[in-house]
Amino acid sequence: MMPLLRIERVSRHFRGVAALDDVSLDVPEGSISSLIGPNGAGKSTLFNLVSGFFRPGAGTIALRGERIDGIGPLRIARRGIARAFQIARPFPGLTVAENVRVGALFGSLGRRDVAAVTRDALTLAGLAARADQPAANLPLGHLRRLELARAIAARPMLLLADEPCAGLNRSETEEIIALLREIHRRGVAVLLVEHDMAMVMRISDRIFVLDAGSKIAEGPPEAVARDPRVIAAYLGTPEED
Amino acid sequence: MSLWQEGIRRHRGWIAASLLGFVVLAFAPALLPPFYLRVGTLFLFSAALSLSWTLLGGFAGYWSFGHTAFVGLGAFTAALLEGALHLHPATLSLAVGAAAAALACTLLSGLLAWPILRLRGIYFAVAMLAVAQVLAELTSNVDAIKGALGIVLPRVVLPGVAQHVLYYRLFLVLLFAILAIAFAVRISRLGQGLVSLREDEDTARMLGVPTERYKIAMFVLSAALTGLLGAVYAHSLGYITTESVYRTDISLDMIVYCLLGGIGTLIGPIVGAALMTVVTQVVLGQLLGIHMFLTGALLVLLVLAAPAGLVGLLARRRQVPAA
Amino acid sequence: MLTLQTIADGLVLGGLYALAAVGFSLIFGVMSVVNLSHGVMVLIGAYLAWLLWHAIGLDPLLAIVPVMAAMFGFGYLYQRGLIRFAVERASLLASMLVTFGAALMLRNLLVLVFSPDFKSIAPSYAFAHVRLAGLTLDLVRVAALALSMLLLLALALILNVTRIGRVMRATAQEEVAARLCGIDVRHVYALTFGVSAAFAGASGAIIGLVLPFSPSDDGLWTMNAFVVVTLGGVGSPAGALVGGLLLGLIGAFAARLIGPAFPNAMMFLVLVAMLLIRPAGLLGNAWRARA
Repeated sequence: MMPLLRIERVSRHFRGVAALDDVSLDVPEGSISSLIGPNGAGKSTLFNLVSGFFRPGAGTIALRGERIDGIGPLRIARRGIARAFQIARPFPGLTVAENVRVGALFGSLGRRDVAAVTRDALTLAGLAARADQPAANLPLGHLRRLELARAIAARPMLLLADEPCAGLNRSETEEIIALLREIHRRGVAVLLVEHDMAMVMRISDRIFVLDAGSKIAEGPPEAVARDPRVIAAYLGTPEED
Repeated sequence: MSLWQEGIRRHRGWIAASLLGFVVLAFAPALLPPFYLRVGTLFLFSAALSLSWTLLGGFAGYWSFGHTAFVGLGAFTAALLEGALHLHPATLSLAVGAAAAALACTLLSGLLAWPILRLRGIYFAVAMLAVAQVLAELTSNVDAIKGALGIVLPRVVLPGVAQHVLYYRLFLVLLFAILAIAFAVRISRLGQGLVSLREDEDTARMLGVPTERYKIAMFVLSAALTGLLGAVYAHSLGYITTESVYRTDISLDMIVYCLLGGIGTLIGPIVGAALMTVVTQVVLGQLLGIHMFLTGALLVLLVLAAPAGLVGLLARRRQVPAA
Repeated sequence: MLTLQTIADGLVLGGLYALAAVGFSLIFGVMSVVNLSHGVMVLIGAYLAWLLWHAIGLDPLLAIVPVMAAMFGFGYLYQRGLIRFAVERASLLASMLVTFGAALMLRNLLVLVFSPDFKSIAPSYAFAHVRLAGLTLDLVRVAALALSMLLLLALALILNVTRIGRVMRATAQEEVAARLCGIDVRHVYALTFGVSAAFAGASGAIIGLVLPFSPSDDGLWTMNAFVVVTLGGVGSPAGALVGGLLLGLIGAFAARLIGPAFPNAMMFLVLVAMLLIRPAGLLGNAWRARA
């Protein structure tokens, strides 16, 4: 079966340094996959390539068999990839509902009932009560949920979530996990970048491990956790958290 | 429910108020003494200009510091073309001149849009100032344009309408036509996309907002309307030179009025223009020696006291319903 | 030979442009404030020098010292008393409106005090000139160029060697970090405005020797400063120097080749081209290169 997202032999260099070197990976339809690895492993670069902020230096990226590398963030968004940033980027002067509405109005192509999609995404993210508040005043946990609500209001096939739980406390993390699972249940594939290993192990169907720009392991959580190369990569560069 | 129906329903109070305002303003000339009629005409012209500016500056967040480029281009396009064609009656001449002015500004802004809108923030602002400066010097120094010498425009006469009432009425119609256009933009998908691009252009694009196309569309629309106003303004002056239509203070006034009233809103530019026109013409009109000082002081005070404009001050909320 | 003369003229003007712009560049670099009253500060310097020359016969070149001192105080108080509130309460673009409003007020005051007419400062040596390898150079202009260079060098030294210079640069890069390190950021901002005003004043005193000036020139000098910074790059005396000299040369050659009818069109065309090709200026932003 054709994978939802196929990244094939992708490389990207910055000033001669390889941020990604010949990386291939397939994100299956209907999965929650995670991308892990030490700082500087190339996770963000990969996200930026998939969402179109950078072009790959070599290799191809395809969504359901159609090439999307080099077509730019706008068209990638319309093909059905949405991205939620770690550092939430709400439109600060708009209300929570207006933020989500932008996702519903634009995003992937196809007409739909904007008001209903907006309402639905707000309810899903537990933000309905704050719909009319300015987005700039939201606390961090709510900002992350707004980021996710805006992304799914665009009705993507694939959601890229960049460390959605970083800096959140336990209960906020649980809320995000429940939200991601619900998004997944509705048929949106999720690709996560995450540092919180416990969370990654719990939520992922499949894990890709990057180190120094190369993929060093991939597989289901239990297998990856036992992989000696993964253990070496993590022990070799101790994480401060 | 479509966006349009929803937008109209949500803002029906504002629509009613606008219609009422139009009726009141339409009957005002019968009551106003000539001096106040002149102030009123200036207000209508300034408000219409500010509203045209806000299509780009207020909605998309691209602040042009040189919109007088389009006032001047519109004025001189109309003057030169009408001078060459000698159309009769003069009302036809005015209509043709105004259409040509809008067309010329559409063409120029269309040519400039792609490169100049790659610049952001203050760099876009100053590049537009530069465009205005270059056009002004060309107008003055290319003999065929006669900017230094000046051009007389055909005198438009309507039976039964006094000359000064005529331009009051023309600018009144134009103001409300531009208000209607701006309202339509604001409640459409385009308007929502513009607001998101003003807030954060990169994020907007990532969400699927065609930022490039939208801001070019607004730049061209704003320029065309400004050019149209420039042509009518030229007729209201009767005789134009480079100095009378390429004026940095016109560019700045558009921004100041929008900021005073409340940037990004539709009522803001109108409130700002009304306040500043009345203050500078009526209140400070007698104090010519310190006119500039008081204008500056007022500007400083207003920006400090009401960063979100007068509308923001009244609404006590950053985002004011936009009509 | 005519070409050499044009280059010489361009360099003299360019040196002045650079000096007049360096304070604008500093404020833009450190505080991201576009100070639209910069041109008025240049003019205040010119009028102060004119006043000192008329009242007590002080040579304008010597007057630079008291003018700089007075303007430093003016700039410091201006920031503490007004700009601070604009930056704190509103957006940076709104701070442009505040400085624009202040420019209107100051310009009006200059008109009231000194009349709207053109003034110039003409000491006894005003018309002396030197001949050098076939070129005719006004003594005043040579002195103006030399002094401009000297002052720019002095500012570069202040910024790079002294403690306060280093603090300013640190604040420009990381305002929050600077605050955490115990730096009184507000004091630094006020000092930056003071230094900026002092150099604007110095350039004004020299400009008074070379060119006639009137209160309505303020917009021109503000624009010049903007163009210089755009051409050369933000925040450093070196950027201002490169931008200033380039602008001076462009102006001199445009005047000779196209004629004096288009004084600004060429300058602005170069500016727009420059913005499109290299938005950060030839030398880039001196203090925020990594961003």
